[in-house]
Amino acid sequence: MSADDRTPVSLSTAGPDDPHMQPLARNPQRMEMAIGLAMVAGIAAIIGFGVAYWYNADPWVLGATLGGGLSLLGFGITAWGKYLMPQGPFVEERHDLRGTDEERDVFAAAVVQRGGGILGRRKLLAGLAGLGLAAFGVVFAFPLIRSLGPLPGKTLDKTNWRKGTYLVDQTGREIHVDDLAVGGIVTVFPKGKEDTPEGQAVDQTVIIRIATRDFTTRPGRETWGPQGYVAYSKLCTHLGCPVGLYEQQLELLVCPCHQSMFDVTNGAWPNFGPAPRPLPQLPIYIDGRGYIRAQSDYTEPVGPGFWERS
Amino acid sequence: MTHSIIRRLLLPVVVLSTVTLSMLVFFAGGSSGAADPATVVASTVTDAQATTKASLPPAAYQTGRENSGAANSTDQVFNDKGQLVAYGNSDMVYTEAPSQLIPMGQALYAQNCASCHGNNADGVPAKDTPGSFPNLRGLGSGTIDFWIESGRMPAADTTAVQANRKQSRLTHEQALAVTAYVASLSPATPFIPTVRNLDTADTSDGFSLFALNCAACHTVTGGGDALAAGTYAPSLRKIPATQVAEAIRTGPGNMPRFTGNLSDAQVRNIVAYVTGNIQHPVNPGGLGLGGLGPVAEGFLGLALGIGLLTLIAFWIGDRT
Amino acid sequence: MTDTAKKPDASAFGPVGKALNELDDRLGIAKGGRSLLDKIFPDHWSFMLGEIALYSFVILLLSGIFLTLYFVPSQDVVTYMGSYAPLHGQHVSAAFASTVDLTFNVRCGLLMRQIHHWACVIFLGAIVVHMARVFFTGAFRKPRELNWSIGTILLILGIANGFLGYSLPDDLVSGTGLRIAFSITESIPVVGTYLSFFLFGGNFPGTAVIPRFFTIHVLLVPLIMLGLVTAHLFLLVRQKHTQFPGKGRTEKNVVGAPMVPVFAAKATGFFFMVFGVTALLGGLAQINPIWQFGPYDAAKISYAVQPDWYMGWLDGALRIWPAWEWTGFGHTIPLEVTLPAVILPGIVFTLALLWPGLERKLTKDEAMHNLLDRPRDRPKRTAFGSAYFAFLAMLFIASSTDVVANFFHISLNAVLWAMRVLVILVPLITYPVAYALCKELQAAEGGKRKRANVVTRTAEGEYVAVPAEQRPGDGHHELDPEPVPDFIDFDGADPSAPGVRQVGR
Repeated sequence: MSADDRTPVSLSTAGPDDPHMQPLARNPQRMEMAIGLAMVAGIAAIIGFGVAYWYNADPWVLGATLGGGLSLLGFGITAWGKYLMPQGPFVEERHDLRGTDEERDVFAAAVVQRGGGILGRRKLLAGLAGLGLAAFGVVFAFPLIRSLGPLPGKTLDKTNWRKGTYLVDQTGREIHVDDLAVGGIVTVFPKGKEDTPEGQAVDQTVIIRIATRDFTTRPGRETWGPQGYVAYSKLCTHLGCPVGLYEQQLELLVCPCHQSMFDVTNGAWPNFGPAPRPLPQLPIYIDGRGYIRAQSDYTEPVGPGFWERS
Repeated sequence: MTHSIIRRLLLPVVVLSTVTLSMLVFFAGGSSGAADPATVVASTVTDAQATTKASLPPAAYQTGRENSGAANSTDQVFNDKGQLVAYGNSDMVYTEAPSQLIPMGQALYAQNCASCHGNNADGVPAKDTPGSFPNLRGLGSGTIDFWIESGRMPAADTTAVQANRKQSRLTHEQALAVTAYVASLSPATPFIPTVRNLDTADTSDGFSLFALNCAACHTVTGGGDALAAGTYAPSLRKIPATQVAEAIRTGPGNMPRFTGNLSDAQVRNIVAYVTGNIQHPVNPGGLGLGGLGPVAEGFLGLALGIGLLTLIAFWIGDRT
Repeated sequence: MTDTAKKPDASAFGPVGKALNELDDRLGIAKGGRSLLDKIFPDHWSFMLGEIALYSFVILLLSGIFLTLYFVPSQDVVTYMGSYAPLHGQHVSAAFASTVDLTFNVRCGLLMRQIHHWACVIFLGAIVVHMARVFFTGAFRKPRELNWSIGTILLILGIANGFLGYSLPDDLVSGTGLRIAFSITESIPVVGTYLSFFLFGGNFPGTAVIPRFFTIHVLLVPLIMLGLVTAHLFLLVRQKHTQFPGKGRTEKNVVGAPMVPVFAAKATGFFFMVFGVTALLGGLAQINPIWQFGPYDAAKISYAVQPDWYMGWLDGALRIWPAWEWTGFGHTIPLEVTLPAVILPGIVFTLALLWPGLERKLTKDEAMHNLLDRPRDRPKRTAFGSAYFAFLAMLFIASSTDVVANFFHISLNAVLWAMRVLVILVPLITYPVAYALCKELQAAEGGKRKRANVVTRTAEGEYVAVPAEQRPGDGHHELDPEPVPDFIDFDGADPSAPGVRQVGR
């Protein structure tokens, strides 16, 4: 029988013989046995957790004993409440939250008089108090916020690449013109910065060999791709993820985060996805000993867009 | 580190290379010597004086860096005709497919490959699909072996964007025979790599290199995923060590080639990490849920966690 | 006065009674105590969804305290020398090293980590499900608007804290999330670069973000949430529960089970079951295996990196948003980031926060509501909510375009374009479909209480089916409230008379 079919009564008026006070279970003795068994099993499993912990068992044993034990114990307690306690339903009166009209008026009058009346009479003092609080708020916000970090300044506009900087891999090994085959890619850093957080986060660059002859990716970049080597910033212009995914037949760099695709034969112009700008290209040259070095810093800020970027 | 010392010691002693190589194999190769191709090759070497660089075949994927998959490695082994049959170092050995299988390979090639790649294995230009039936000459046996042994060739569907890995139509010996035949048309490196002493490799270095070079496509747990325009990075969960090394060295399909930017020692470490921790992940926390898994975790948490608890609530509460 | 001099041990209820008397002397608990014990909780199962969230929150606090004892919130670089071989010798942050040590070397550490993470997944899931229940049944209506807003703020704080906690281990996957968070902050016009530099203590990655996020994650946000949860529960007790209409249930009463013992037993048992399910997940289903991801290094990246599910919709919006960068006057606004990652969540949450007021404005319904709506009886609200969820669900799916493409072997590019269309299309379709469905359900009212058709045969032999007389609760009824007229419209009153205005209904 569902509780819904019964008229709810007030708990305070229901006597011990009231059907509302009877348990839901048809056979309370049998139900008590069943619930007791579940709780015993739960307690056993919880003790099992203690034993498993003592013997440093695998996490799955710990989880199974603890989780199983708590679940069984919880099941027992819930079933006790559901099947063996007064089934109700009971009713409780809901009293209005609002006060009487008179109470409301008295309260409102006090607020208005004490607020507007007493404070309003000393406008200067009230104003000064407000001003003091505001000044405190503003001034106190300064140490809270301004101490947190340095001002950006021009930090985001430049990297550690300079004229003549060697391109090295993460072990610090300089990249030689003979190293890469067409279709090869390596992540490089300015020499000396390969093991610094800054070098990894800002200066990171990929160098790809897309041909064996000098390669021009855009007009005006005739000297930037010596012997088919092209170097692009590894920071996605969308959100700064490392664009480490290179598909050599499609000649696409793909950002693993949000799948922006950059055409490496065309100055890394984005041709799919949310990235708005091409990856900046690093002008490079090959020195007399065959090592690849930077012609200069990037000609534009690397990474995602920001307000001060022109 | 060790192999550069070995290289410095070995190279000047060209005359003693046979003896030294045998000793190297004996000491470094350990108990697995019998299965080690370098041992087999070393025992067939009869004329150590044939080691002249002038006779080295060209590298299909050019790299000038030594010990990076091309013939300019620490040790080279030549057959009695003066042809390079194996090269390598204490980390990796690259072996040419055995020449006695060439006649068998020629027949198999005619049956299985010639219709697309041409009778001379120099490719057939397919309309509007450049590179669909590429020239196979001068690619090196490592490349040919990878495509056949991984079951990608002979292709099931020649119009597919990317050939799928499948059970190879050819047996291991047949695959090796085709490789031997195609490679013999225009010998080049890399040969078929064998990673040595995988169990003592530096998996930590391998993990680090994997995260830098491989995870961007294959995911850091090696599950693979869809890439641009219908291509995909395959799962690495069941790839044998040789094919991992072959793929790194030859860059099949859209995969970049790792030649001079990874030394043989580094490739060995990556292969050890892939065949070790990628293929047998340590999952002390229960079911692995396919490795990388906020998607799987979220699904499980919502479907099982919230679902089960909602069902429990449904049991506890009233339904009207 | 002589009454108070009575000895407290004169209770007829033994030592317990004596103790209660002692307490009542000091705290005055007897007056309200009985009515608190008798407080009635409605029994409907959907009212327990919020309990799941509450209990997960408790589990989060308990397991979180355990984790703080072992976690080292520092970005200092250390050389890992712990028991997981593939990380040996790698340079990792102290935060990462301590998390791996906690996983492998602290007894029960991995279980606690996983319980904490699963509890978070369940916590936020339960909040969303609970919110959906409250929304679709109209439980947020007057007088409970404030509690709805508190709940919404709890959801926002929960999502934020989930992200912060996810970032703390400084592994490859979470570090990528931090990089994205930096870039999103940077994208805010005018102040973005300053905000991001202040938050991270300099340009990414900075040195301060892990310790700062740790403090925010374990102290600031949990404290605020604890306060808000307390306020949420206080308001719930103060305003009493809503209830579905039914036998003996009115706007003026609450029907259900008393707090002690019935509700207390069920709630305690349910708490243990929530804890049990979370512990089972924590022991049997591995979550966030950071040792397989490795330490964060800004130059490394893994493909197929998704955030936890509750952040997924934001990631999806970032994926599908077109590349709309604005430049001009020497400035750049990366709208392809600002719009989906700052403006969009702002709109989504503001709309949620303000919904009760908005609905009151639209329906002009100023009445107190303690009885709940059936969703079908409010077709417009139900349709709107469904469309809202459909929109978020589509964004969520868009965050796994690569997984979808890989699973169904279709082109990633095609999936992305499909999602761009579906995000707009599916909510637009959902609204009319949900609306029509509600109308259909209204017509087929009642489930058990179907109206009988009385079939009669006419003298000509024709069979005629006539619906039986309506019974209370049957049939089609809209619950759209009538606007209260400004003036009473007396029949026959002279409309031209001063002070009398005719009001159209």
